[in-house]
Amino acid sequence: MAVGQSSAHVGATKGFTYTTFTAAEEALKQEVRQFLRTELPIGSYRPCLGMSAVHDGEFTRKMAARGWVGMSVPTRYGGPARSAVDRFIVVEEMLQAGAPIGAHWVADRQSAPTIMRFGTDEQREKFLPAIARGEMWFSIGMSEPDAGSDLAAVRTTATRTDGGWLLNGTKIWTSNAMQNHWFIVLCRTSPNEGDRHEGLSQFLVELHGTPGLQINPIAFLDGTYHFNEVVLTDVFVPDEQVLGEIGRGWSQVNSELAYERAGPDRFLSVYATFEQLLREKLAGGELDARSYDVFGRITARYWALRNLSFSISRTIDQGGAPAVEASIVKDLGTSFEQEMIALLHDLWDDEEPSQEATTLGNRLLAACILTGPSFTIRGGTNEILRTVANKGLAAWHGVSR
Amino acid sequence: MSGQGNHEGADEYTVAVADPLLMETLHRLFTQTGSHEVVQAAETDGWAESIWAPLAGTGAPWVGVDEAVGGSGGSLVDAVGVLRLSGRYTVPLPVAETGVLGGWLAGAAGLALPEGPLTVIPSRPQDDLTLDGDTLSGVAYRIPWATRAAYILAIIDGEIIAVQPDAKGVSIEMVRNLAGEPRETVRFERTPLAHRSAAPAGVDPMALRRRGALCRSAQIAGACERIAELTVEYAGQRSQFGQKINRFQAVAAHLVRLSSEATLIGMALDATTYALGQGDAAFEIASLKSIAGDSGSDVIARAHQVHGAIGMTREFVLHHLSRRVMAWREEFGSTAWWREELGRMVGGVGADALWPLISEGSAARLR
Repeated sequence: MAVGQSSAHVGATKGFTYTTFTAAEEALKQEVRQFLRTELPIGSYRPCLGMSAVHDGEFTRKMAARGWVGMSVPTRYGGPARSAVDRFIVVEEMLQAGAPIGAHWVADRQSAPTIMRFGTDEQREKFLPAIARGEMWFSIGMSEPDAGSDLAAVRTTATRTDGGWLLNGTKIWTSNAMQNHWFIVLCRTSPNEGDRHEGLSQFLVELHGTPGLQINPIAFLDGTYHFNEVVLTDVFVPDEQVLGEIGRGWSQVNSELAYERAGPDRFLSVYATFEQLLREKLAGGELDARSYDVFGRITARYWALRNLSFSISRTIDQGGAPAVEASIVKDLGTSFEQEMIALLHDLWDDEEPSQEATTLGNRLLAACILTGPSFTIRGGTNEILRTVANKGLAAWHGVSR
Repeated sequence: MSGQGNHEGADEYTVAVADPLLMETLHRLFTQTGSHEVVQAAETDGWAESIWAPLAGTGAPWVGVDEAVGGSGGSLVDAVGVLRLSGRYTVPLPVAETGVLGGWLAGAAGLALPEGPLTVIPSRPQDDLTLDGDTLSGVAYRIPWATRAAYILAIIDGEIIAVQPDAKGVSIEMVRNLAGEPRETVRFERTPLAHRSAAPAGVDPMALRRRGALCRSAQIAGACERIAELTVEYAGQRSQFGQKINRFQAVAAHLVRLSSEATLIGMALDATTYALGQGDAAFEIASLKSIAGDSGSDVIARAHQVHGAIGMTREFVLHHLSRRVMAWREEFGSTAWWREELGRMVGGVGADALWPLISEGSAARLR
């Protein structure tokens, strides 16, 4: 179809419909803000950088008591059965505050919906109520030393044995494995020949007390510790812990990754830092034109990006599967986070960033500068994401390919 | 028009979309009348009667202007849709100036709408105008299609005034913007006013600038959407090194990114359009115009890079779109001007109220 001959989307934004909160959603937002005012008054804590948040089981349990953990879990599995928009509200409010949501982050965002979608009824009974109580925490078991963006290259194997499977291999970049309870491990169950997307499978594996499983810490570049290598040596996994179908791991993992892409976690990592720097700048008196320019630019982009991400949540609740749209949000959001670190840094060029600086804003900026490069890597590099999104782009635009 | 959607039996949320029938009509009209040659010729002639006549026949330039004062009715949401399409098809005519800008001022002044187009004085810092009794003297710059307008309207010293471009003492110098659209310098020497009345509350130079910024942003949104389509299509047709250039990852990155930036402008426009139904949308318009400028610049840079040399020629359609983005981003407040304006708003609300501002927009400022 030639450009200009279709009018299906002229006068509207392709793939995205602007939306607003219902009265019930507005009430949820106010409830979350009230909770934050009580639990985390501004100035009483050091805000976390988005989803790379402090792992705080007590905070997670408090959120769970409100029904804000495992939000997608249906009531018959002990969950609050909230919509994607409700989860969007809780997540954006927590992230803007820099709340310590690290304990339940992965379980809430992707493990629970994946278990709900692909798990057996027994697995749902075992895991989902515990996740929704804020008591069962998950890590991701996808990346390997030789399988980064190219996940189909995983070499961890699962071989058939009596009553289950034997897992051998090494998982890496496993955040918070030392504190979390379980992870979902992507393995090769048949040889990598022919279609390399065939023959992959997922397994639920307990991170502690499992014979043959060893967790080795990997120090992050800023000196913090959350990364691990998890070595699996003849780890026995019973048949009850196979997640989904043997051989269907590729499509399962892709559906799991879709949960990772378009959320507010892809643009709010630096938000609390921005807010704190603004607070400190304003306390110092009148701002100059350059500061206004930077604060204006950042604010405008936050506002527009947030509306894109919000729109995707609404689309998901309506049964849509926004793939290109989710890539757009992740690419724009994570690139913006890095750009804004540079913009903010320029405004503080008379004060070198340091993790030991006297002002909170400077310490947060230092952390952003150090960890910022990870924003466009985690969850699949932006380069690969764009390459994948490009494949669907002509159809998305409604132009000839 | 406002529509309502339902969400799992809960109460309703709101969407704001332009009347689809109107959009369909204009899409057809613009694709039939707004050929490459017609748009090109308008740069020399300063006008395209072959588009204006049928367009005026539909009443579209006056959408969003009250029927009571001679407008076509419909909401500002519809008017923004009209402008988005006029940008998409590079309509070289004063559509914004006739309705959302001039029609609004005429309506506020109680001036009956004439048949022809209207224009407004955008108020450049270099302008120097004096009202003396019932005459106007001085100079004003960058007036869109001044020669063609039935009235040139302006807000001066709290009054809405109108003058006719062929009135006594008016001299007009043709100046064009980067897209070749007339942005004329007009000198007045004791020119008699065709109309003069006190501007009602809410009708002031800043409100006019906001409306102008909204119009240009809607036009930029439409232009960038079409640029994205054209560029993705071109990259799927053009071959180099034995393969379609969209197969190169570096090119693919441009295609995805420019589609994303165009989408960001579109969403900013949609959010602003909704906010206009709630108030002055000061926060949204400041955000929108700065995004239209920043993201629009990114879209045209990447589109030209993908197109290569052919995109730099007059014979290829891209320049009609890209030069308009270059021109429109400057008008009714440049990108940098609006960024700073928004920054002042942010400074005004303070850090504690920043998140409510970002997540609720103008609604948060009004509380």
